[in-house]
Amino acid sequence: MNTYPERVLQQVYAWTRGHPRVADGTLALVLLASSANQIPDHLVFMVGAIAVNVLLATTVALRRRDPTAAFAAGAVIVAAQLAGGLGAGGYPSLGLTATDLAIVVLLYTLAAYRPRRTSVTGLAVCMAGAAIAIGRYAPLHGPRAGAVLLLTIAAVGVTLLAAWVLGDAAAYRRAYYVSLQQRLTAAERARDLEEKRARAVDASAARLRRIERDLHDGAQVRLAALALALGEIKENLEQADDAPTLALVSSAHQNAKEALTELRDLARGIHPPVLDQGLRPALTILAETSAIPFALTVEVTERPSPAIEAIAYFCTAELLANAAKHSAAAHVAIDVREQDTGLLRLAVTDDGVGGARVAAGGGLAGLLERVHTVDGRLDVKSPAGGPTTITIELPRHA
Amino acid sequence: MRIVIAEDAAIMRDGLTQTLTRRGHDVVAAVGDAATLRQAVEDHRPDVAIIDVRMPPTHTDEGLRAATAIHRDFPEIGVLVFSQYVEAHAATELFASAPTGVGYLLKDRVADVSDFIDAITRVAQGGTVLDPEVVRQLLGAGRRADSLAALTPREREVLSLVAQGRSNAAIAGALVISPKVVEKHVANIFDKLGLAPSETDNRRVIAAITYLGS
Repeated sequence: MNTYPERVLQQVYAWTRGHPRVADGTLALVLLASSANQIPDHLVFMVGAIAVNVLLATTVALRRRDPTAAFAAGAVIVAAQLAGGLGAGGYPSLGLTATDLAIVVLLYTLAAYRPRRTSVTGLAVCMAGAAIAIGRYAPLHGPRAGAVLLLTIAAVGVTLLAAWVLGDAAAYRRAYYVSLQQRLTAAERARDLEEKRARAVDASAARLRRIERDLHDGAQVRLAALALALGEIKENLEQADDAPTLALVSSAHQNAKEALTELRDLARGIHPPVLDQGLRPALTILAETSAIPFALTVEVTERPSPAIEAIAYFCTAELLANAAKHSAAAHVAIDVREQDTGLLRLAVTDDGVGGARVAAGGGLAGLLERVHTVDGRLDVKSPAGGPTTITIELPRHA
Repeated sequence: MRIVIAEDAAIMRDGLTQTLTRRGHDVVAAVGDAATLRQAVEDHRPDVAIIDVRMPPTHTDEGLRAATAIHRDFPEIGVLVFSQYVEAHAATELFASAPTGVGYLLKDRVADVSDFIDAITRVAQGGTVLDPEVVRQLLGAGRRADSLAALTPREREVLSLVAQGRSNAAIAGALVISPKVVEKHVANIFDKLGLAPSETDNRRVIAAITYLGS
């Protein structure tokens, strides 16, 4: 919790940030007012000094609208002042006046809002102007003239340099703040995209599951009922003496049965219903159809999301099919377990010939793509001569 | 036969009911979910119950669980489970407790009406029926590849028919060989697998299933 004075200060800062023109105008007025006691009595000098002070105050008031132009105008005014023989404040003297502060403010503003190349040029201009002013007005003779000159040069140089350094630091801080903001925005966007992707992955898994259900409850049932009816008709016709019709019905019956088989394979490829019961039963059934003897270990206490289970299932199916096709293995081990990291790790090891690798357009490349959709990882260890271990790591939720 | 049908799809339920009725069987109840099925079985005590694996509410394995319970509680009632997909482990579970009067068939098999009714009859009479696809999977899984490797291709063929619950005569008919040859094959198979040959078909199936599904 912020203390009371800090909160007030923060409100003041916020207000000044929100109203730069008013803040700068106030600063200019203060500068102008504090120069009032330095107005000379002689009428010509008085008018000149007031004009110079008002013009400089104006550049300060507008300093943030265009820092470069404000600084240039300030520099021209002071140069004219020097050329016209007016010292700072109107008198030919070296005393620091309120309007001299205007140049310091303008240099600070230049360093804070413009690229370093511009502000360094500004610093050089200021230094040169100061050198000219010092050369012109410094007391070169008299007691301790050398010491006064050195002190003056040091004071002016340090003041100008300090103004530039403060301005440059402010610019750096602002740039850093902006980059922080950008990084924050990027992180927010990344999180937002991750959430959207997770929703899309889950929705897609749910849609596939629904399609399978619809096929099961709709087309598959109707087709099975049709095949049943055709089967009965066919058997009835076998008693009658109508060979052409029997041939026709037999063919229709056969087609209906084959369509049933194809539809079943299609539906299972979309979403094996046993996946609804979890990875262990689904992988057990999958492994049962494997041509290679297998050992299956599933150690998962908390079920991953359906989309992740589906990815793990189809990856295992592909890896088992690969092993059967290419490895000439005598044994395959499927190991699914939760990692301490919370990731789901799926490892399929066969004692076959090895040499499996991810090739463009190949089965493993397809798996990699599938795994990448949820930021999973796929690792292939398959030296020539085997054994082959393919490890897949998946998040528990998309 | 007195039959109870449990199938959630009305088209299939009605189609089966009509077909079985036309073939002279008595469909005493046709229900759409596992709870009603249990009630119908208790009320009617049919010869056989034909049960779909996937039924409401979760559409996963309600039917299988109901079938296992009925099989356990009413051993005299035949239970035929039919499924959209082949799930060998489901079949072996179903057969595991007491493999008499029990069957597991792929839903597509209804298309061959006489074979289907023959299967129902066998189950109703206390026999066993196992879908050829399940047998193929169990044999193809190669989990016992080393032992099965000892069998000749012909012996494997015979074993798969034995596992489906066929008699020697039926196997002889299917493979177009003499029953004597079948007997010799069966003896060889059980010898090679280290199983004692037995008189009835059921024991043969028990042996085959126990062996294959272990």
